[in-house]
Amino acid sequence: MANGDTSAQQFLETIRSIDTQTLITMFLILSIAYVLGRVITILLSKLSEKMNQSGRVKVKLIIPVVKFVIYIVAFYYIFRQIFIIFGPELFLLTGLLGAAIGFGVKDLFADFVGGIVITFEKPYQIGDKIALGNYYGEVTDIGLRATKLVTPDDNTVTAPNSLIFNESVASGNYGASEMMVVIDLYIAGESDVEPAMRILREAVVSSKYVYISKKRPVTLLHKALPFYTRLRAKAYVNDLRDEFKFESDVHTRTWIEFQKNGIRPPQLHILNIPPIEENIDSNATTRRNSS
Amino acid sequence: MGTQHSGSEENGFVEVLGLRDEIGEIQASIADYEIGKKLNIAIVAGTLAGKTTLLGEIEKINLSRATGITFSEIVRDRKEISLPDDAKRIALFDNCHYLYMRKPGGFDIFYEFLDMISSQERLFITTWNLYSWRYLNEAFGLERYFPVQIFIPAFEKENLRLFIFKRYGKAEIRFYNGKESEEEPLIYIVKYPLEFSSLGRKILLTIPKINTPYLKSRLLNKKETQTAEDRVFEKIYQESKGNPGIAWKIWELGLDYPRIQPEDVGQFSFDIELEYEEAFVLSLILSYQALEKAEIAEMIGSAFRTDEIIFRLLNQELIFKDEVGSFRVRPEALHSVVAYMEKLRLVW
Repeated sequence: MANGDTSAQQFLETIRSIDTQTLITMFLILSIAYVLGRVITILLSKLSEKMNQSGRVKVKLIIPVVKFVIYIVAFYYIFRQIFIIFGPELFLLTGLLGAAIGFGVKDLFADFVGGIVITFEKPYQIGDKIALGNYYGEVTDIGLRATKLVTPDDNTVTAPNSLIFNESVASGNYGASEMMVVIDLYIAGESDVEPAMRILREAVVSSKYVYISKKRPVTLLHKALPFYTRLRAKAYVNDLRDEFKFESDVHTRTWIEFQKNGIRPPQLHILNIPPIEENIDSNATTRRNSS
Repeated sequence: MGTQHSGSEENGFVEVLGLRDEIGEIQASIADYEIGKKLNIAIVAGTLAGKTTLLGEIEKINLSRATGITFSEIVRDRKEISLPDDAKRIALFDNCHYLYMRKPGGFDIFYEFLDMISSQERLFITTWNLYSWRYLNEAFGLERYFPVQIFIPAFEKENLRLFIFKRYGKAEIRFYNGKESEEEPLIYIVKYPLEFSSLGRKILLTIPKINTPYLKSRLLNKKETQTAEDRVFEKIYQESKGNPGIAWKIWELGLDYPRIQPEDVGQFSFDIELEYEEAFVLSLILSYQALEKAEIAEMIGSAFRTDEIIFRLLNQELIFKDEVGSFRVRPEALHSVVAYMEKLRLVW
């Protein structure tokens, strides 16, 4: 008992021995790391916007790694200060830290570990369009604690990094600048499918937003359902940020041409009937494209 | 001062400078066709690279067995692509990039053309703009219809010289050394043009260059100096990257008839900043080589926006209006425009 009291007293004495200068130094190191991380993020982001799409992705790939290295260096200096002060009492401090992580800041610690995993395993990168938990959007920042997404409605979502341990992450482009967009159009069941497919194909391949290559082909699918026909185009948008513009462009120009060719949309009363077997499939698409 | 070396008597040869291998390959395919092996030919090249000249030469060589058709605007009437019954066995189609319009419903003529070349017994020799070819190839698998593809290479420096000289009489052009060359320095500074598609810009890189003729003359006592003519054509070659059309334009801009000096040969770098739709229109003009305002309006679906966009592109001196009212990319801006288009991946 007396031994324990002595240790606690020693620890308190050591805490009291931390002078203001040391605290200021620690605070300065953290501040410098934060400011440096922000400045480098802004500079690299600006540089990436001046480059072509693949260059942009490559530059943005570096940002979380650089930030991580900056914070590691900062923490190294802070812990060095602590080690100088505490010396043999460090083990005691480690225990204290363990208790703190266990009771109070375990989520923060999990987020931090999540940040390390995201930085090095790269389930997604800055610039990717991802679905994480209930959110879908473009990754704009990967921090040590959280990932920032901008949703299609321009909301910034801050998702804790620990989400990747519990939720599956879907990345629409996974580091590439182009991304597949699935575009569905519904026409009346009695409409002629062949010209409709041709028009849809031409609207896709002639869009200013499309990207086509041997590895990124345009695929057209047709499904006849009891009351209407679904036409589905799978094509790649040149810049993933134009995902919705691409979809809208194809819709607009396809319908103008459909009308010229007498291809009609399904009747209104038919649209009111929820197609049960389609729900799962179309939900997946909608989530990817418009959530 | 110097004078040119070649005269106009070489005209027949210089028309197809540097394209002898390509002519040989096409003639070999024609010979194969005569013994029953039909392989359609696509001649592919960028703007002003010489594909029409090459096709013209093929027509001259095969005058008795070839019929030629040239498109100069987007084809809207299918009669324009149909060959008369008495047409010869080899059909030559120039500027086939005019066979489609990049919009829904704009590919009907193109489909008919593909149907025609696959169903007829004739041999089809066609020319395509490089960027239209790549686009149509990715979108429709065009290369399947043309087993023989000829990509026109860049001209060599000497061929560019002959290409320009063929338009003048002997000793008509006088070359003068400017200030740059007066001192005969061992090392001099040149601005070397480089296109960076990752940055979307053409950059004039300042690099030191060793004056090798001067060095040789000093070290080996050989009388070899770089003439004003050499310097002029070196600069033209660097700037044009072997494209004869660009080389000619740069020559014209630098020539103060009948005099020219190396310092007069311009180096062009355009800092292009465009909105996405403006860049798309520029990519269309690049891919078609020449487009009328109405054609652009049809493809982007707005006459009002077309006026605005053309105004912006003209203001930035990226395009010009030719004598028939079509818009073309300025030859001196071509490399900058291509670098910018590649950055945006609007051409592939």
